[in-house]
Order: sequence, then C-alpha cells, then structure tokens
Amino acid sequence: MSAVARVAVLHLRTVAPYRAQGLMVFGLIVLVLARTPAGLVPALALLLAPMLAVHPFVIADKAGLDVLHAVLPVPRRAVVLAYYAWALASFLALVTAGAAVAVLLAQLQGQALDPASLATPLTLSWALFGVNIAIQLPLLVRFGYARASVLGTTVPFALVMIAVVRLHLTLGSVQSWLPLFWVLGAVAVAGSAAVAVRLRGLR
Amino acid sequence: MRVVLSNSSGVPLYQQIKDQVALAVLSGELAEGSALPSVRALARDLRISIITTTRAYTELAAGGFIATVPGKGAYVLPLDSALVREQLLRQVEDGLQTALDAARRAGLGREELIELLDGLLQTEHC
Amino acid sequence: MLAFALRGVNSTVSQGFALREVSFELPAGYVMGLIGANGAGKTTTIRSLLGMRGVDSGEIELLGHPVPGPVALRQDVGVVLDRGYLVGDWRLAEVERTLRPFYDRWDAARYRELLDGFGLDPRAKVKDLSRGMAMKLMIAVALSHGARLLVLDEPTSGLDPVARDELVGILGDFLLDEGHSVLFSTHITADLDRIGDYLTLMHGGRVVHTGPKDEVLASYRIVRAGPEELTDLVGIELIGPRRTPAGVAALVRTEEAELLGRAVLVEPPTLEEIAVHIGASPARPGRREVAV
Repeated sequence: MSAVARVAVLHLRTVAPYRAQGLMVFGLIVLVLARTPAGLVPALALLLAPMLAVHPFVIADKAGLDVLHAVLPVPRRAVVLAYYAWALASFLALVTAGAAVAVLLAQLQGQALDPASLATPLTLSWALFGVNIAIQLPLLVRFGYARASVLGTTVPFALVMIAVVRLHLTLGSVQSWLPLFWVLGAVAVAGSAAVAVRLRGLR
Repeated sequence: MRVVLSNSSGVPLYQQIKDQVALAVLSGELAEGSALPSVRALARDLRISIITTTRAYTELAAGGFIATVPGKGAYVLPLDSALVREQLLRQVEDGLQTALDAARRAGLGREELIELLDGLLQTEHC
Repeated sequence: MLAFALRGVNSTVSQGFALREVSFELPAGYVMGLIGANGAGKTTTIRSLLGMRGVDSGEIELLGHPVPGPVALRQDVGVVLDRGYLVGDWRLAEVERTLRPFYDRWDAARYRELLDGFGLDPRAKVKDLSRGMAMKLMIAVALSHGARLLVLDEPTSGLDPVARDELVGILGDFLLDEGHSVLFSTHITADLDRIGDYLTLMHGGRVVHTGPKDEVLASYRIVRAGPEELTDLVGIELIGPRRTPAGVAALVRTEEAELLGRAVLVEPPTLEEIAVHIGASPARPGRREVAV
C-alpha cells in the first residue's frame, strides 16, 4: 500500500469513531428528500461531503494528530495528499450511496428516475464540491482547523451557495457544458493539492 | 549477588558497588567462576546509571576480582590471582596491626603474642 | 556511534525566543537528561531534533543520518510527549490497527505483552487513560515498532511518584540493549539523579552545560554565606544567587570556588540545586555554553 493510501486509511480511522453522527446526518437528508429523490445526490454532495472531507482536520486539531503525522515514517506530502484522497473517496462513497438510495426511493414511489438523468446534478455537484475543498483544504493544511475554520469553511460554502443559485437559474443551458464541469472540478482539486503540498513544505 | 546502595552515606554509588562485590568475592560468598549480572542488567535492577555501573565493573576488573565479557556479563576470577592475594595480604597486615595496637595497650610482649597466635592456629587445626 | 548530535543549531521561534548555538550529543546506549525550566528551549530542541520544525542554521544528526533525513529514520525513533497525540475515542486495540501499517517491524505480540505488563486493557479508550497510563501506552507503541531511540518530552510532569518509578524501570529494561538510547527532558531532576548518564542543562534557548552527569555535577559548587558576604567578588561569578536576610546561596564554577575564602560554606551541589540556580540566573546573550 502506498504511503498516501496508508495515511488515507489513518484519516478514515481518525473519523471512524464518529460514524454514528455521520450516518444520522445521512439518514436525515434522505428523510427530508424522501419525496424528491432526484435532489438526494446534490444534497449529499453539497452538504454532507464537505463536512466529511474536513472532519479529519477537526479531530486532528482536537487530538494533536499533527504530532502523530510528523512522527510516523511517512513523507510529509503523503499526509497532505491523503487528505485529498480521503475527501475524494468520501465524495465518491456518498454519491454512490446517494444515487442507489435515490433510485430505490423513486422505484418505491413509482416515480420515473432514469439513472442517466442523475448525470447533470452529479456533474454540477462534483464541480461545486471540487471548488469547495480546493479552497478549504490548503487553508486547513496551513493553519489547522481551529484557526482556519471561520474563514476556511464559511467563505467557500458561501461561494458555493451563490454558485448554486446562479446555476440553478440557467440549469438548462448547462447541459452542453457538462464535460467542462468535470474538468473544472478535477483541475481545481489537483491545483489545490499542489498548493497544499507546497504550503506544508514551508512549515 | 547482593548489592545494597545507600543514598545518604556520602560514598559514591560506584564505590559502594565495588566495595560490596569485592567483599563478597574475598569472603567467598561469590565463588570463583560465578556469573555477575551484565552492567546494563545491574544498572536496571539498582535503578542507577549505566556509566556508574560500568565504572564499578571496570574498577573491579582492574582489581583482579572479575573479568568482563563484552556484551555478555562478568564472572568472578579465581582468588589466587596476584592482585587479590595482595589485597588479602593487606587485610592480614591490617588485622595484625590492630592486634598489635591492642597488645601494646594490654602490655603483652613478643613471646606472649606468638603463643597466642600458635594457640589460635592449633584450635583452627583441631 | 552517536544516538544523535546537534551542532550549532540556531532556530528562531518567536521575536523573544530562539535556540542559539545549541550543541550537544549522546553516544548510543545511554540516557541523557535534558534539564531546564519551562521556556528554556527543551521542547523546541526536541522538535528540531525530530525534524518536526526547521532550523535556521546548524547541523542535526540522528542515528547516523542528517535531519531532515530519510523518512525511514522515523521507524527507529519512539516519541513520548507530555500530552498524547492519539484520537481519544480509539480503543487501545484500535491504536495498534491504526499504527501497525506504518511500521516495518511492528511486533503485535510484543504490543499485547506490553499492554498486559503495563496493566492496560486493549478495550480501554485512549481518553479514559490516566496520565501515567497514557505515557505507558506511548512507550508500548514505541517499543512495539522496535524504536532504537526513545525521545521523551516531560514524560513525568503530572505523574505520581509510583508511575515515575515505573518509568525508570521501563527505561532500564529498554536500555538492556546496547544499541538503545534515551533522551529525556524534564524539570523534575529527581528522575535523572540516578539513571541519567549524560546531562544537558538548558537556559534561555542555550546550552549551559553538557556532558557525563558526574562531570556536570563536579563542575559546580554551591556556596552559602552570611547576608553581607559574597559581594564585590573579582573573578568569581555567582550564578542565580538567592539573597535573603538570613544569607546568600549561589552556584559557582568549581575552579572559581577555590578562590573563595574559608569563611563561606562550599559544598557539592545536587542536580536540583544546579537546575534551580541556573534557572534563576538571567538569560544573557554572552557565550556561556561549554562544549563536550
């Protein structure tokens, strides 16, 4: 297993003790959107996924894990990249689970939910999630959760919300730009990771 | 092996170890060839520093009491090695000197002293 | 072989505090005590040694490698800090599952054995451990991954005497291997009075003295005199003098103590007295460090 994968598992184990709370939020979102399953995937991707992505930082701050990360025989950059790996993996898990539940709910209620129709919200969710963590993670890597939280989590969230409102108005025209949104999210995340590794190196 | 260290005697710890082991060897309590704990094991057991224990062992080895085997431990050398004999001779001399001092105060002469010594030697042989 | 060495390390921490020309080293196989009051620079020195913070200048060597060096170097170093660095909600069995993948030589049987020997329940949570138990957990982790150098930063602060004594026993076991070394920072000198092989005294970001313990102890004398005495001394520096209406007590260098008259009391100091008087002296910019 590569160093990044091993640290990503460490991040998973870091948040694992709090899985019950995570499942509760997941259940709550499902419950709220039970009648409109089509909104489930974007809701999970925009509300729960960013929370999950930054949660290792929250615990690391509380438990002093920066010391653990410095003491373990892994390169410093692996610790940073593993935060991105964790964020992407949790996003992927959430949208997969969300899509499955959405299809199931739609079937139960006799609604017609074509899996292909999920593609548009999924793409937009990815782009928004990508931009969101692309802004948050370097700040969290550099300053830690306690110092970065106000600036580092509210600003990206606000930006994302503004973007959602704007995009919502022009959803129809977005269709033809879908591949671009995939690329946008990926480029944002990759660029952010490169920046974060450099920020970490400065310390 | 018995080593009892005092914190308040004013005698350095290495000296205390050295004296006690030397005494045990001379008295026969530690027989020739018997193994001593390694420096590190003794340091751990006595909760003292390794350097202190090493110093005690080094001086015991220099005194001809023990031989150390690097990485293993140490064992007691035969008593008739020249250095130990010298130590014993010094003890005999010291003892005789004490006896002489007492004899002078008691007013005993040379003849009486030799008689006493002969008597002691005889009782030991019986 | 050296367990570690710092050579002329300078590192600025904040405007008011920096490590200056910090140099000391420990031969492999021994215990070194790093002594100083809070704020003397012990933790900064340790963090620099472990490569957890950069330095402005100077060289650091750890187990034969320069710092920052190969990542694998950290396989051989166990770190115990005064505050834990594990997730409070992990159970001790989970601690093993979490850390094990990172270490090439992790010995699961030894971890169980150590927990058992230390009276730690694998089902207990990290946050429920007392300070002494948390310290033992960190040591169990270090010993299970086969560390050759144990670095303990204030491990005994907040520990009761029984737990401190247990730690001395644990370190004794660890040092049975001639390749194992310990660096131990503390402001509680009693811990080092007996088991310390080498001492490094720090004050105000500088090394005041470093060397074998007996040598460090032998290089100072404590001098006591009446309230009017020990003034206008030439060639004798009183280190951290404490003046009361009843008299004055201070530390002096042994060679300078010989210049003092017979009217004053000159005695060999305890480690505690050395630490107290050096800690009470003003941290000054002059060069006072003594090379080994």
